[in-house]
Amino acid sequence: MPADSALVRVSGIHKFFTRGSERVDVLQNLSLEVPAAQFLGLMGPSGSGKTTLLNLIAGLDSPSEGEIWVGDQEISRMSEAQLARWRTRSVGFVFQFYHLMSVLSAYRNVELPLLLLPLSAAERKRQVLTALEIVGLADRIHHKPGQLSGGQQQRVGIARAIVTDPTLIVADEPTGDLDAKSAEEILDLLQELRTSLGKTIIMVTHDPRAASRADRVLHLDKGRLVNETRAEV
Amino acid sequence: MWKFALLVLQNLGRNPLRTTLTVLGTMVLVAVVTLVWSILDFLDKQTAEKSNNLKAIITERWRAPSQMPYSYVRGLSEAGATEPDDFRPLDSMTWAFYGGTIDPKNRTRENSVFAFCMEPEKLLTMMDELDEMQGEPKAEFAATVEKLKQNRRGIIVGRELLANLNKRVGERMVLYGFNYKDINLEVEIVGLFPDSRYNKSSAINIEYLLSALDSYKREHNGTPHPLAANPVNIVWLRVPDMAGYQRASDQILNSPSFSNPAVKIETLASGVGAFLESFRDIIFGMRFLLAPAIIATLALVISNAIGISVRERQMEFAVMKVLGFRPNQLLGLVLVESLLVGTLAGFASAALTYFITNDYFGGINIQIAFFSKFYIPQAALWWGPLMGVGTALAGSFLPAWTARSVKVSDVFAKVA
Ligand SMILES: Nc1ncnc2c1ncn2[C@@H]1O[C@H](COP(=O)(O)OP(=O)(O)OP(=O)(O)O)[C@@H](O)[C@H]1O
Ligand SMILES: [Mg+2]
Repeated sequence: MPADSALVRVSGIHKFFTRGSERVDVLQNLSLEVPAAQFLGLMGPSGSGKTTLLNLIAGLDSPSEGEIWVGDQEISRMSEAQLARWRTRSVGFVFQFYHLMSVLSAYRNVELPLLLLPLSAAERKRQVLTALEIVGLADRIHHKPGQLSGGQQQRVGIARAIVTDPTLIVADEPTGDLDAKSAEEILDLLQELRTSLGKTIIMVTHDPRAASRADRVLHLDKGRLVNETRAEV
Repeated sequence: MWKFALLVLQNLGRNPLRTTLTVLGTMVLVAVVTLVWSILDFLDKQTAEKSNNLKAIITERWRAPSQMPYSYVRGLSEAGATEPDDFRPLDSMTWAFYGGTIDPKNRTRENSVFAFCMEPEKLLTMMDELDEMQGEPKAEFAATVEKLKQNRRGIIVGRELLANLNKRVGERMVLYGFNYKDINLEVEIVGLFPDSRYNKSSAINIEYLLSALDSYKREHNGTPHPLAANPVNIVWLRVPDMAGYQRASDQILNSPSFSNPAVKIETLASGVGAFLESFRDIIFGMRFLLAPAIIATLALVISNAIGISVRERQMEFAVMKVLGFRPNQLLGLVLVESLLVGTLAGFASAALTYFITNDYFGGINIQIAFFSKFYIPQAALWWGPLMGVGTALAGSFLPAWTARSVKVSDVFAKVA
């Protein structure tokens, strides 16, 4: 049952982990829809399950119960191998600590996900350069991560997230490790991706100022959605 | 697949010091195993050869020097075999010693000739050292032997002897016998021994000695030469193994044909054989315990180096998984990385060991028993790299498996 207008549809999911004999319920009866081309902020206290939810939506883990649809695919039913393939094409990941390969240049880092797709070297090159252009790092392509500032590294991270042209971008505290100015620039960039490229973005953040850049903010507490704040336009 | 090659290479360049140390460690250990294995291989072959192809010496039992009638030769060269299923040796050789000088008035060591009187063809098949010749030198000497066969009065001499006599190949000379008194042989130098232990020796066709003894009898009104009854000094037999030697010995010692005078049979290898038997256990132990132990050490060293590097990259592997790399692709990347190191280091090491040992040092002289020079076999050039690959595989499998099994959800965890 494909979604009407929503790109992401989470319905009635439970997620628990077992620590030894103890069962820890992290997400409980959680439902959520994210329309295409929405910039969604996820907030909540530490341990409330934000990362867990993001991992489920991005296909890094599967829910214990419930369904997750992204576009017309039910990712909660996919095997690990199917999920891996799906992730390469359909989701871009932006990490708090960038997680770039230290030995690879900006160019090679951005190219990494493309190695998994059946593309010619010329096609890869075109896509990598486009992505680096979008994040404004066309002049830094041969730099290694160690030669870039935190903000620049995060831009490389974002370029890597969009290089396969996925519809969905997930970001777990993408500004958490940046100074205010760099954070602003990254948030500008994310907004730009949503407005000019129509990406759907789900961003976890502790920072109310970052959250205020989102179209819509959801609050999570003890594994449940509590209330919703609509960004004032 | 080539698009992943750069990934592998760049990872190797991540820590050049560690990569270098891994390569060096691999090279040293491959070199050690190559040497150990080569020596073992060499000893094993030699041992098998020496105890599987031995010569027996038959001499007169009670007298020295040994003197046996020529009538013994036929029977002895068959090891006394009479029945169809009796044991028969692989080959045989008869020796009669003849000493003579070219200057009977002033006999010196320099103008004296010591000759093996024997069947010419046995020079090629039964004489120690000469029977192991191969290829060009063998063909050359075979031609000389052929001349001795054609010319019953021929003599083959060693290089030093030729110089001492101050003669040239093709010249004739008269030898005045001193053990065979009044038996003078008029010989023509048909050729030389190869440079060998026979440099001071010479060889004469035994037929010539026998016919000279016959002539003596005719010239002395039917009185034979005092040594004519017992001209044979030694009969040699080649037997396939110790069991063959044992049968030859039993047949000869139990035969009534060789009882007057009585003979004895010995083999150099009866002592050596026992010695080699004990050697074989050591060789077995070294080959199947020591060499694997070294390889295991090598695997551990490599595994440790790769393990450290994989643990350092745990997070990167997790990120790659998030990006969609399949577990087996990560496994492959890590394995290929270490295989590359293992193969190249293994090959470089084996090739270096090979060329340094064989070409630079010209082989290694090991002073154990009677063994000759030893070389690294050419096969080392492929089993060196194979060993590198094998140990790299063994050493990197666990780290590679760790990389494969890394948890993706760790990436979003707050600890970096
Ligand atoms: N793999 C796991 N095994 C067991 N428990 C887990 C696992 N992953 C998360 N948890 C638990 O689930 C709960 C929610 O974790 P989660 O990381 O989603 O929180 P979060 O909202 O992202 O917190 P933070 O703001 O600190 O990042 C925590 O109590 C955590 O200990
Ligand atoms: Mg979190």
